[in-house]
Amino acid sequence: MSGALLTVDNLRISFPTRQGRAEVVRGVSFTLGRERLGIVGESGSGKSQTGRAILGLTPPPGRAEADTLRFDGRDLRHATAADWRSLRGRRISMVMQDPKFSLNPVMSIGRQLMEAAARTASSRTEARAKALAMLEAVQIRDPERVFHAYPHELSGGMGQRVMIAMMLIPEPDLLIADEPTSALDVTVQIEVLRILDALVKERGMGLIFISHDLRLVSSFCDRVLVMYAGRVVEEVKASDLMQAKHPYTQGLFRCLPRIEGGTRPLPTLQRDAEWAR
Amino acid sequence: MGLIDVSGLSVTFIAAGRRVRAVRDVSFSVGRGESYGIVGESGSGKSTVLRALVGLAPVSGGQMTMDGAALQGARPAAFYRKVQMVFQDPYASLHPRHTVDRVLSEPLAIHGFTDRDARIARALDDVGLGQGFRFRYPHQLSGGQRQRVAIARAIILEPEVLLLDEPTSALDASIQAEVLNLLDRLRGERGLTYVLVSHDLAVVAHMCERLLVMQHGRAVEEMTRESLRAQAATQDYTRALLTASEGYRPA
Repeated sequence: MSGALLTVDNLRISFPTRQGRAEVVRGVSFTLGRERLGIVGESGSGKSQTGRAILGLTPPPGRAEADTLRFDGRDLRHATAADWRSLRGRRISMVMQDPKFSLNPVMSIGRQLMEAAARTASSRTEARAKALAMLEAVQIRDPERVFHAYPHELSGGMGQRVMIAMMLIPEPDLLIADEPTSALDVTVQIEVLRILDALVKERGMGLIFISHDLRLVSSFCDRVLVMYAGRVVEEVKASDLMQAKHPYTQGLFRCLPRIEGGTRPLPTLQRDAEWAR
Repeated sequence: MGLIDVSGLSVTFIAAGRRVRAVRDVSFSVGRGESYGIVGESGSGKSTVLRALVGLAPVSGGQMTMDGAALQGARPAAFYRKVQMVFQDPYASLHPRHTVDRVLSEPLAIHGFTDRDARIARALDDVGLGQGFRFRYPHQLSGGQRQRVAIARAIILEPEVLLLDEPTSALDASIQAEVLNLLDRLRGERGLTYVLVSHDLAVVAHMCERLLVMQHGRAVEEMTRESLRAQAATQDYTRALLTASEGYRPA
């Protein structure tokens, strides 16, 4: 199929424990075109590990195996370190959850951004201009100041926007965004989503949007995978998420408080051992 | 007059020669038994208001009173018997090398309680953890369980006021519902007064009768739960927040 940018079939990720290998992702399959695919689930559901495995970032001693893992016609299952280097950042990039651990603490923001811009820019001046333009694009009010700042001088929300700016500078074909907006304010969150949306629509970028926020995913993505205990329990069109069939998805929706008011106490999620099978 | 009255509160931080006015001229009043919300985005000064109340922020202007008594300078121990705080991140706010038992014993020791054993047992039951958790370390607990420990630590002194700084924003939706229900139940049972800070309008609408919207250190507007539900915001900023919290809408 020509439309598929990424094909994942039967992805399994396991970590060794004293009781043998624990599978945290158990047979996840999906294909991604040039669209916005959401992966939702609670912490521990395996959604982040799924995202990392696509970039070959399963932390050792963890092991990722799949029947198919193909990106733009290339089989990634046996990719060498050099193959990964040619893909990571340039063709596939990832925005991680926590800017505190993802930015270099001893390098100014500007230098880190210019490093990302260096490959596509012809001069330092151009790289600098690109970096500043991207900071502005992610709604940073004072790009000059942030450019010269170090990560510890930024708030979490600003750090996250810097991360997003850095990942978007090389104009990747596939962006894996792991809770990219969870640390952001709602109004900024919408702006960042708008940037991502524009990249998908205008440049045909593929986006995997990993989040625990059902409401956000249902309004932003085209298609949603709902994960529970390492499996995809449901795949739905985002617009139909409200009418999801799986009791887990329904339960997650029901336990959210609503501005317009709802039941008190909030309904809690009653887990069923069946779901994890 | 309310239980907590804040008028014209300003907080100024001086960092590297720069003055940062984190809170500017904020006033509000919280009645006894009320749940009052402060909503705003990061950097709006909402957490700083809470920290100023307990004496953890450099107040540069305005008055705060509780029960008619002025709050200034170092607070006496009796103040902390009445006012306790629950922080956002249960991963950071519990000592990693202290057991739950030790975490809960500390406030009791500071305030000279003698019946510590019974109080710890009761506090653990109150937050729905039970005795089995008493000698565990934080790393043996999930995020929701840790936040329950943090709440147990706050209520163990039987305070009148709980200051809640984003109590559920580090938690999964299903766990958030459980913790919000717990806070709701405790307030009903004990007649507690809450000041709850959150960036999530839906959480505040669920938990609080009245709320204050803050932006850039200033109070934007005060609303009741009813006016929030009716989307009857008078300020553009509040309207923007309300729209944004409905989710993404393509431009």
